[in-house]
Amino acid sequence: MILFDFGYERAATAEDAVARLARLGCDARLLAGGTDLLPSMRSELVMPATLISLKAIAPEAPCLGAGGSLRIDALTRLADLERSELVRERLPMLAVAARAVGSNQIREMGTLGGNLCQETRCLYLNQRHDYQFAAPCFKRGGECCYPFPRNKRDVCWSVYMSDVAPALIALDASIEILGANGTRRVGVEELFSGSGLRPLNLEPAELLRAVSVPARPARCGWGFHKSSVRGGLEFGMAVCAVSLRLEADGQTCAEARVALGAVRERPVRAAAAERLLAGSVLDKARLAQAAAEAAKEANALPHHGFTKRHLTDNLRVYVRRTLEQALERARKEERAC
Amino acid sequence: MLKTDNESRAALKAPAQVVSLCVNGEWSELAVKPRTTLIEAIRDLIGLTGTKASCESGTCGACTVLADGRPVLSCLTLAVECDGMEVRTVEGLAEGDKLNPLQEAFLDHGAVQCGFCTSGMLMSATALLERDPKPDREAINKALEGNLCRCTGYNGIVDALLAASGQPVKARTE
Amino acid sequence: MQNELKYVGKSLRRKDGPDKVTGRALYTQDVRLPNTLVGRILRSPHPHARIVRIDTSRARALPGVKAVITVEDTKGIKHGFVETPRYPADQEVLARGKVVHVGEEVAALAAVEALTAQRALELIEVEYEVLPAVFDPEEAMKPGAPEIHPSHPKAPRALANIGGTTETEWGDVERGFAESDYVREDRFECQLRTHGYLEPQVTLAHWENDKLNVWTSSMGGFVKRAKLAKVLDLPQSSVRIHKTYVGGTFGGKIDLYSHEYCACRLSMLTGRPVQITASREEIFSAYRHAQPLTLEIKTGVKRDGTLVAQRIRAINNAGGYRGSGVVVIFLAWGFTMIPYRIPNLKYEGFSVYTNYTVRAPQRGHGAPKVRFAIESQMDMIAEALGIDPITIRLRNARGSGEKLPNGDDTHRGDLRECIRVAAEKSGLLAKYGRDRKSPPKGTIRRGIGIGVSAYMGGTLIYPNGSAVIVKMNDDGSAIVLTGAIDIGQGSETVISQIVAEELGIGMDDVKITSSDTDTTPQDIGAWISGMTYVTGNAARQAAGNAREKLLQAAAEKLGVPAPELVAADKVISHRLNPEVRMTYREAIAHSVAKRRGDTIIGEGFWRTMRDEPAHPSLATTRGRWTENYAFSAQVAEVEVDIETGEARLVKALTVHDCGFPINPALVKGQVDGQVSMALGHAFMEEVLVKDGYTLNPNWLDYRMPTIHEMAESEDADVITEQYRVGQPYRTKEVGEGLISGILAAMGNAVYDATGVRLHSTPFSAEKILEGLRDLEYQKKKKLKKIEA
Repeated sequence: MILFDFGYERAATAEDAVARLARLGCDARLLAGGTDLLPSMRSELVMPATLISLKAIAPEAPCLGAGGSLRIDALTRLADLERSELVRERLPMLAVAARAVGSNQIREMGTLGGNLCQETRCLYLNQRHDYQFAAPCFKRGGECCYPFPRNKRDVCWSVYMSDVAPALIALDASIEILGANGTRRVGVEELFSGSGLRPLNLEPAELLRAVSVPARPARCGWGFHKSSVRGGLEFGMAVCAVSLRLEADGQTCAEARVALGAVRERPVRAAAAERLLAGSVLDKARLAQAAAEAAKEANALPHHGFTKRHLTDNLRVYVRRTLEQALERARKEERAC
Repeated sequence: MLKTDNESRAALKAPAQVVSLCVNGEWSELAVKPRTTLIEAIRDLIGLTGTKASCESGTCGACTVLADGRPVLSCLTLAVECDGMEVRTVEGLAEGDKLNPLQEAFLDHGAVQCGFCTSGMLMSATALLERDPKPDREAINKALEGNLCRCTGYNGIVDALLAASGQPVKARTE
Repeated sequence: MQNELKYVGKSLRRKDGPDKVTGRALYTQDVRLPNTLVGRILRSPHPHARIVRIDTSRARALPGVKAVITVEDTKGIKHGFVETPRYPADQEVLARGKVVHVGEEVAALAAVEALTAQRALELIEVEYEVLPAVFDPEEAMKPGAPEIHPSHPKAPRALANIGGTTETEWGDVERGFAESDYVREDRFECQLRTHGYLEPQVTLAHWENDKLNVWTSSMGGFVKRAKLAKVLDLPQSSVRIHKTYVGGTFGGKIDLYSHEYCACRLSMLTGRPVQITASREEIFSAYRHAQPLTLEIKTGVKRDGTLVAQRIRAINNAGGYRGSGVVVIFLAWGFTMIPYRIPNLKYEGFSVYTNYTVRAPQRGHGAPKVRFAIESQMDMIAEALGIDPITIRLRNARGSGEKLPNGDDTHRGDLRECIRVAAEKSGLLAKYGRDRKSPPKGTIRRGIGIGVSAYMGGTLIYPNGSAVIVKMNDDGSAIVLTGAIDIGQGSETVISQIVAEELGIGMDDVKITSSDTDTTPQDIGAWISGMTYVTGNAARQAAGNAREKLLQAAAEKLGVPAPELVAADKVISHRLNPEVRMTYREAIAHSVAKRRGDTIIGEGFWRTMRDEPAHPSLATTRGRWTENYAFSAQVAEVEVDIETGEARLVKALTVHDCGFPINPALVKGQVDGQVSMALGHAFMEEVLVKDGYTLNPNWLDYRMPTIHEMAESEDADVITEQYRVGQPYRTKEVGEGLISGILAAMGNAVYDATGVRLHSTPFSAEKILEGLRDLEYQKKKKLKKIEA
């Protein structure tokens, strides 16, 4: 039950949505699947005066573009993304990541864009505050931080939990952002500010229009794992998405991308781990070493009841395992990854 | 969000909108405020109480209905978003007094105890079988992972789905 | 005899099944009354605070608000889960003077719709003076701890915040330890977990024509009626609890909740129906949870593993009021002394106030925690002595015909047989220790463990007994009036099976009218096998009573002595000459026309422990308890990833002495559900609290098992009783007692898989990893010592 009134209008096109955002300003929010927005409205974390529904905008089906890249409309439902033959064949990691999100119903409702634009999360934040944690924290515009009382005003350690974002980063995806002045394209990593207070680098009158993933060269392999206590209906404890490209000799690493989710205010590129891998012969020891480095680089925030130590331990194992998966796939010389 | 918003919000005009919903094959015109959720529209305005309200935040699946064939959480869906849509609820499964094979399977295999998760579970299962008539265990798990059951341990529910899809399963009732 | 039965013992489909799969079943939230007001509760934001001032004037003034109440608007009558001379009622329906936990009810209001109610709630001003709070029970017990309530007058003088104690002993434990060949002492802790029922707490109350009509989600309408009438200062006949379907309870919906009182009082004040629904967050953060128990156990055994002496200290984190804390510390003694023979025992239990939500029973009511502790220690003892887990248990387990220390008898209950069957079916002895001895390749280790338990049935809890009425219809079908409430366990089906069997009619000929305190007779309530054993026997009696009358009427009409007649399939015939017969319809017609106009109504009443006036003493354990003890042995097979600590239950075997199953499918359903609840307790459920606040008041972060976690669940009966038409029967508890053994078994199985012995639940990945690390470290230390 949502305990406040708000206005509702439907945008006819994406450009129309942007125009409405520009007109209505900060008091308006876009409504796609609603699986992140509605719970936040129920908890009164956000209380928009107007919702601009994107319901009337039919998403384009995933399609091949220049150079074999795949363009996916941000309004694509996660379930459709996961079921898309094109995506399964060319970007299996993305299909797997989409399948890992939430629950079946959440995937049928939620969109790719909505998943990427979700708010960061924290136990103290994501509940109603009628009698618990009533004084607003920094993220709620207030004066304190409950889990980390010594933090200063501009530091919010709420965690960005998207399962799909790390996969897109590992796939070197870029995003199209539609604004009043047209479309700008940036690498997907640039969407994230790293600040728990304002996690997304989006202007008030901008919307995420599409995601573009380049074609995978030969000898590329992928690995993806979402750590969670149960098999579903959860945000991740930690998410690992890795991509490895091998040289022609089949054992030296040409390029590595290691992206970690549910670790910090934004997904983390384990750059030092990547440097350990690139140019090296990928044996067991090297993979383990890179995984240990990545786990350290993550500098995981304790979140949702998990300690930093445990999250780091978990990452160390699963980054290694996903690297092993990626290596095995790369060796099979798959065309796409 | 600071609570001063509430007072200014009192003056906000949020007029009701007319929404056409086809529920279990019957069209209704409903006047709803934007904040009215689909579950509120179904239970309070149309009066079909088979769909259950349990957590109101999308974390248990008890409120699952089919909207244009998709299993959705009606507690996280606004009624105004559903204008012109076909919604199916648990009341639409049986043909008059005749239970459908999935409902029969639920009763044959101990998939029902307190019954509170049952409506949502049946709708998720219906959506699964319409898409995948012979699902394997992994597909069953993925389709029903968003529906919590505290009574059955899911054993009877899995058996019911296997039985309803014509797959071998041990009998539980006689 | 068994195979002559038509309905009892058969796995028949649930009678209420069709209602539930079609959405026809009406739960409390589905009951609609015109002009219903929305009620809300104002809750304390502090764990411990004095209420300086409450000002409801601004809330009252808001248009659309129809009534606002605080404790000043109540009769000031207290209630409690337990109400005895030693433990008088201690909780008011709204806070008076101070609040003792976050979420405690301070005020309530009713408004025309939800937004107005929310706004009004925000307009109630409360000034608090924050008081020091205490959260750890062992800290709370210390003299000088912040006083939540004065200690019980009978508690040891030195201790603070004691809600109640249980103390008992027999033999001489110190001498027992001295005579033991092996003694060990361990401490076990269990986390705070909660019921997680899918149907929220909800009450609809309508005061009309001097009668209070109530629809509420509960486990027993008669308890609710009694408590509501008490706090409202109304005669019980002025309160009617109506029938509704109930969406799961697990112990969390027995005693009186503030919102139930508030809905009633607000309706009395406004003259309109008032509905109060607790949000899921309120349920997680303000309502009753299970009780975290700390157990310190010192055990001495002979060389062959036979128990000699045991000393137990149980400390219960009781929350802000007495709640069911004083019961759980009594039960912890029970769950200790029923399964094994303990020649010398000293038990003390303390129920300690803390600034947390009040506690309620949760399925098993202490048994899971106690058996986890005792069974873990039993395995540790076995290993130290070089004995296998089966042998040591067989040496100590009770068999049939044994006298218990409290004077009760196990009758035909046999734990030894359960253990034997469990060992055989699971192949435990062959599998045990396998992965530890020769670790397989890869990181997955498999382990197997056993846990045994016992439970009691039909014990005396208000209203202590059940009555049933069977009314025959003219066509030979019957209407059964029973106060029994079906919370999912299938009581309506079981009662129908019994009545159909006793009356010789079909299942479809039985219609149940249930759980309405005006129209159906008193019922003991849906806990500790109240339904199947107590109400079931009452139903049997009532049906038998009706059958007798039928036979008398037929005997009269046929001119044949009644004992020569048999009744089956709605026909009464002569035992030897079947041509001498009449239908039920004819017999009933005759009875109505001739035989004093009797319309054939049968009555039955059943109560266990008829010679005992009351439940045994909670404080001293003295007194006979029950004649119905159920035993079980459960085996768990788990898998652990030793690199990540992630563990899961793969397979569960439950061997239970349920007496005999009236409906085996329903019993299996209970077993499966309890295995699921146990694995949740074991691996993933925990209410996270900090400084009295609940951090995870939702189903995302309070992790109950999903379909992914489902384990293979096999169950086997050890049949120790039987059903004979016309005779009392003894079925045993299967709805609560089967969490404990499997939980303990999982602990033992995790040890078997990894060598890590955990002394607390849940067995989280973090704890298992830490345990593995510790083992590695110990191993390295040992090697270094050898090298040195």
